[in-house]
Amino acid sequence: MDMSSHPLLASMDEPPPFPSNYPQLRRLDRSVYCQICKEPFQGPVSIACGHSFCSSCIRSSLDVLKKCPSCNEPASEGSIRRNRALEEITDAWEESRPIIYGFAQPPIAKKRPAPDSGSKPTSSSNTKKLKTSSREASGSRSQSPTKFRISNEEQDVDQTEDLQDEGNDDLDDVQELTENDEAPCPICQATLPISSIPMHIEKGCPPPKTRTNGIRKGNQKADWKKVFSGQTSSGKTKEVELKRITKPNYMIATPADLRAILAEYSLPTTGDKEILIKRVQEWIILFNSNLDTSHPSSLSALRARLSDVEASKRRDKEKGKDDMVAQLGNRDGLQKYAKDKKSEFERLKREIMERDKRRKDEEEGKGGRENAIEVE
Amino acid sequence: MSGLATKRLMKELADIQGKGTPEGIVLLSADDLQEWIFLISVLGEETIYKGETFALRMKFGNRYPIDVPEVTFLANDQYQPPLHPHVYSNGHICASILGNEWSPVLNAVAICITMQSMLASNKKKSRPEGNDRYVRSAPSNPKLTRWHYDDDVSFSIRLNLFNILRVLLN
Repeated sequence: MDMSSHPLLASMDEPPPFPSNYPQLRRLDRSVYCQICKEPFQGPVSIACGHSFCSSCIRSSLDVLKKCPSCNEPASEGSIRRNRALEEITDAWEESRPIIYGFAQPPIAKKRPAPDSGSKPTSSSNTKKLKTSSREASGSRSQSPTKFRISNEEQDVDQTEDLQDEGNDDLDDVQELTENDEAPCPICQATLPISSIPMHIEKGCPPPKTRTNGIRKGNQKADWKKVFSGQTSSGKTKEVELKRITKPNYMIATPADLRAILAEYSLPTTGDKEILIKRVQEWIILFNSNLDTSHPSSLSALRARLSDVEASKRRDKEKGKDDMVAQLGNRDGLQKYAKDKKSEFERLKREIMERDKRRKDEEEGKGGRENAIEVE
Repeated sequence: MSGLATKRLMKELADIQGKGTPEGIVLLSADDLQEWIFLISVLGEETIYKGETFALRMKFGNRYPIDVPEVTFLANDQYQPPLHPHVYSNGHICASILGNEWSPVLNAVAICITMQSMLASNKKKSRPEGNDRYVRSAPSNPKLTRWHYDDDVSFSIRLNLFNILRVLLN
């Protein structure tokens, strides 16, 4: 078939591959891909043999087969470990890819830098584009852009509360914006510390955690108390404990057990045992793999994804049925069906006639016992 | 189709568009992301299938690539399944890679390559033992059949396959 203009591919938004004269870049690009979903790693984990996959991919795979998909070594969920270095590499590469893609273009195409070109309609490149503009936007507010930029570069280092600076307390000196100062996000206008704006946009503008200003010093004692008592500020506000769910034994679990698990995470508890098992399985994959990433989704986003999965499964199941019913509903369709299945009908007819004949022969002969074993 | 299956199949399609398929394998139809048909022929002078072309149909479920697709050779007026000790006359294939040896890192083209090499390594045209009996009672979906892969052929195919794939996927 003609692959140059496949209708299914028209709607695809994929970053274009690197030109073939840069096999090294192609290899680099591939190396941050999960071999199961062929997408950049999301919450990468490694297993006992050393191969790495997205957490949700390998969890789904191990549910079916307890082997490494790449090398066939025995593997189990117990051996799953977060691969933080790989996650950092993937994030860094995703961030740099549009830039390097621009460098890798032939000179003529170079006039249009890749990150802003219309040929890259991926959602990730869009956020990247926004990110760049946000840097520029907030940078222009600063009177010392050099300093601002340097501090922005450091944003990958986890921001901690105790990163104090002098300019912050001195309200008269507002010109010197530093990473601990707050500024409105250029997208959603929420007020955030400048240093966390790029990450905030990267995550798709989640509402910022409310935090009152100027209480840092005073609250330090309380913060330490929290640390020592083992409770975290986030743990207190979350409705459920963010701890990996242990898989139930589906063979012996009762529907009530499964409903209890689902109810704990405010999920629908309808359906028979089979549906409940599927839902629990799917949820455990979503929930546990969400704990393996530095960019976790909210629980409500996970719930939405679960209901999407269920809806798409239902659609797939009913799709074939609907088509069949629609086809048999009209005369032409019925005739076409009969025509398509004619050879099958004939075959069945022939087989039944042969079988009847054989039976008859057997009864007449009464000796053909050994032929009685027949698969019907 | 779930997000993973759709995305993955789109990627495979784009890959076929970009890089093409290996020699002897042609994508005949991929009108949707549910069912694809490939044409397979065995290359070289030594093969017993010289000049023959077979149509391989793959049906992808919504758990692809975690679950193996349903793979059969077409058996209709236009195409006949190859005469092979692992291929039944209804097009069902007994190959471990389509059963317990499936791995989600494989893809549609990898299945085609496996089938091609399975045919290439065959020396004698014959149907599997008990073909007629199986065909009479077989379910329409070969994944519902319980296969026994005790043959060393399927094993060697798998070993070869990983070597082939390492080259192919790069």
